[in-house]
Amino acid sequence: MVRPDASGAFSDRQNTESRLVGLRAISLVLFVFLAVAFWVLQVLQYSEHRERAKRNHTRTLSLLAPRGVLFDRHGEVLVQNRRSFRIAIVREPATDVPASIRRLAAITHADEAHMLAIVQRRKSDPLFRPIAVIENATDAQVAAVVAQQLELPEVVVEQVPTRTYPDGGLAAHLFGYVGEVQPAQLLRSEFARLSQGAIVGQAGVEQVYNTLLMGTDGNRFVNVDSRGREVEELQRRDPVDGQRVQLTIDADMQRALEEAFRADGYNGAAAFIDPASGEVLALTSLPAYDPNDFAAGISSAVWQALNADPLRPLGNRLIQGLYMPGSTFKIVMAIAALEEGIITPDSVIGCRGSGVFYGRSFKCWNTAGHGAMTLRHALEQSCNVFFYTLGERMNIDTINKWAAKLGLVGKTGIDLPQENASFMPSTAWAARTRSGGRWYPGETISVAIGQGAVSVSPLAMAMMMVTVGNGGTLQTPHLVKAVDRGKGWEPVPAPGPRSSFVMAPDHLAAVREGLWMAVNTPMGTATRRGKIEGKDVSGKTGTAQVISNDNKAAAKAAALAAGRNPAVFDDHGWFVFFAPRDTPEVAGVVFTEHSEHGYLSAPIAKHVMETYFAKKEGRPLPVYQSPAAPAQNVVGPVSAGVPARGGGR
Amino acid sequence: MERRLWQHLDRPLLLAVLALTGVGLATIYSVTWNLATGAPGAEFWRQVYAVPVGLVALVALVLVDYRILAQRSPLLYVAMILALVAVMAFGVEAKGSRRWVNLGVGSLQPSEFARLALALILAMAYGDARRGARSMGELLVGALVLAPAFILIFLQPDLGTASMLLPVYFGIAYMAGLRMRWVVGAVVVAALLSPVVWTYGLQDYQKGRVMTFLDPYQDPKGAGYQQIQARVTVGSGGLLGKGFRQGTQGAYRFLPEGHNDFVFAVLAEEQGFVGVIVVLGLYLFVIWRSLEAARLARDRVGAFLVVGLVSWFLCQVVYNITMQAGLVPVKGLTLPLMSYGGSSLVATLAGFGLILNVRMRRFTN
Repeated sequence: MVRPDASGAFSDRQNTESRLVGLRAISLVLFVFLAVAFWVLQVLQYSEHRERAKRNHTRTLSLLAPRGVLFDRHGEVLVQNRRSFRIAIVREPATDVPASIRRLAAITHADEAHMLAIVQRRKSDPLFRPIAVIENATDAQVAAVVAQQLELPEVVVEQVPTRTYPDGGLAAHLFGYVGEVQPAQLLRSEFARLSQGAIVGQAGVEQVYNTLLMGTDGNRFVNVDSRGREVEELQRRDPVDGQRVQLTIDADMQRALEEAFRADGYNGAAAFIDPASGEVLALTSLPAYDPNDFAAGISSAVWQALNADPLRPLGNRLIQGLYMPGSTFKIVMAIAALEEGIITPDSVIGCRGSGVFYGRSFKCWNTAGHGAMTLRHALEQSCNVFFYTLGERMNIDTINKWAAKLGLVGKTGIDLPQENASFMPSTAWAARTRSGGRWYPGETISVAIGQGAVSVSPLAMAMMMVTVGNGGTLQTPHLVKAVDRGKGWEPVPAPGPRSSFVMAPDHLAAVREGLWMAVNTPMGTATRRGKIEGKDVSGKTGTAQVISNDNKAAAKAAALAAGRNPAVFDDHGWFVFFAPRDTPEVAGVVFTEHSEHGYLSAPIAKHVMETYFAKKEGRPLPVYQSPAAPAQNVVGPVSAGVPARGGGR
Repeated sequence: MERRLWQHLDRPLLLAVLALTGVGLATIYSVTWNLATGAPGAEFWRQVYAVPVGLVALVALVLVDYRILAQRSPLLYVAMILALVAVMAFGVEAKGSRRWVNLGVGSLQPSEFARLALALILAMAYGDARRGARSMGELLVGALVLAPAFILIFLQPDLGTASMLLPVYFGIAYMAGLRMRWVVGAVVVAALLSPVVWTYGLQDYQKGRVMTFLDPYQDPKGAGYQQIQARVTVGSGGLLGKGFRQGTQGAYRFLPEGHNDFVFAVLAEEQGFVGVIVVLGLYLFVIWRSLEAARLARDRVGAFLVVGLVSWFLCQVVYNITMQAGLVPVKGLTLPLMSYGGSSLVATLAGFGLILNVRMRRFTN
């Protein structure tokens, strides 16, 4: 039982009460202190803490917009996008980024130093933004990362649209490639809204039409938990695909062109153009690269190999390579002489194998002499003396004027980046650049057969044939036919011609006939290799010297002795053409490096044109028959005994 | 039980205690809410089941006269010590310490109940025997009673819970006449000794822990993390809070233990400063109202018992809430009544049963 207290209540109640007051006072003070502390945190420092909490849990993740699909002129898909995986690291939740990367490298077998370098380069990015360290991850890498997700929450796998190009690097220099935007590019207004790591076109159509093709990235605003895992999506802005672009290219002709080049084993360049519009039907420059290598971030090994390659596969020979036109320049001379009234189509000039001009002897390639001939036969057989004579009768500035009208001066204006200007000398140029300021008339004689200080791009040569083909209009070559801005195809107006003149019909007929004969007669320099039955292919061969004939033999011997390939000193072969003769539908150039002979370019041109006609007429597409070896029954001597000054045919 | 007794049950105190329990449940419901399943987490339901158990314990400790309990306290104390020894022997180990025994239907944390037995036996020792706590010898008697329980819990190891036995002892000693100049003297000595302890007494990792507390940004992802995130959690609540189930810091686990040690931070995040003031007010009300029970108690045993329990409650509540504001180092201490944890809730409700008991029986003989 309860034992009653002696006093009923306790005796020192007074003392107890004062101590209880003390306890109340202490608890009141403590709680007031707590209230003040929370007032400071929640009211005075509210905005600071609110921002920190927001940064903790919200993430803005980009949704990459697929780039616009590229179509050929008939609607065939050329370049599209596929889904690929990339592995990225988010630095914010990571306690030790290098350690995370080491771990990631261990499970994916990726290059640790490379990944560290990427993160280092992007160190000024916001911490929450994923930095892609492995592009185009393999299924095994993705599986490894997903399996380790709990241990490596800072590593994320993202699905991204990745550009896919046709296999084998088809039309590489046409499409170009994409790559991360460079820091210097970010300063340009065109890229103002981009951030580091964005993918932009860095060459070719991808670069020139980047604004159309790029689209607008979307965003996802998500809540994440403390391990960086997404908890819920708050808001989503879908990406807007890049615009679809229809190129002027014909995919079948493009394939035929590169197939023929590869079958013959040549490097070089070529273009096939509609002379009525300047639309490019096919173009190439070889060797090339595979744009697919760039699509998901190029590996440094591949990039270094491409840059170190002495054949310079990254350069576009079609618009950047400048070469002597050789005998193809005789077309310019013919038109200039006719239009200037120096000769008529029926004027006769004799060739005895060489001629003396300005006190110096210039040889024809046919040292036996062509005899008396008109312009038609001079074009057919590429008689040097005939054109030396025209060169003697015209000054360099007149020739320059006509070369310009035919597109051999300056840039063609094609919608591809980094074109080099073709060059023709003039007295003004000589006055400006030479110490003596003089142009020597003797030099004009060399220029008359496309040698000396003339250098043109293969595409400029194609534009010359476009101009001859259509009777005087120097079109601007272009690559885009239509754009789909989301409301169906809208045609893109062709850029206007650069210049035009009207050739007298009889002049035009004579030139066209000479070019037809060059391709179709037994005497023609193209040795009938470009001939297509019923299509009246008309053209002209030429060779571009790599080294002067005087030094060629010695250089080749030296190269051989040094264990290098002497073929690098072999001449390049030109074939310029259009067809059909009287109503040309396709004109262009095939330029084969170190093929020695222009006529060896002709089968390639023929194959592409046959493809064109077969497709147009609904016939099966031709299969390329590579000439197994240079034909034995070549008309005329080839290289042995070809004299200096006057190599070209 | 006489009907008259029930008239003296302190209903406002009981209501405030139940209100805090309810606020705690609601906060646990909110912070454990799973977006994927659209339901609160398992912790919420386990806490819900603990409430009736706690209420039964409360009622049981109201029904039996506290003086009987005080007289039997040596027995209860020995039973408690045995339970703690049993924890050492058969306890379940979790997170590096051994605090729980598995009872089949659930696990029990005996250390939470230790303070009840300690408060009873100390109240009896200093109250019933008319002994004061004015001399060293008198103080030492209580300290010797405290020691076995303190050591056993300290060895689990659970420094936090062990430390929280000290307020029970000092609260009762204070009531029993502990000389205030000794307290002041002890504080002065501690202050003077602290540089010596810092230099010779602490290991490097312990110094590091103190430094991290003083400047958590030295190690924002490691030791300083909870302290920083607690402040962010509380501060981001603002005046009115983010709203029920709208919190991000606790719900997304940026602040760990949002249902447990840091439940108050989550409350502050979701209910804002207004919610904080309401809950602080409730706690203060509970403390004052309980001290009123001590004042009205018919004998010293009752008053000392209440003060022992209130001292513990005050210290743990204040320490825990101060920790939410990032002003004291993070220690694994729950917030009584609100935090997740069945043993803690049951033991706390049982404690309030004793307090209600003392007030209810103030007129009985």
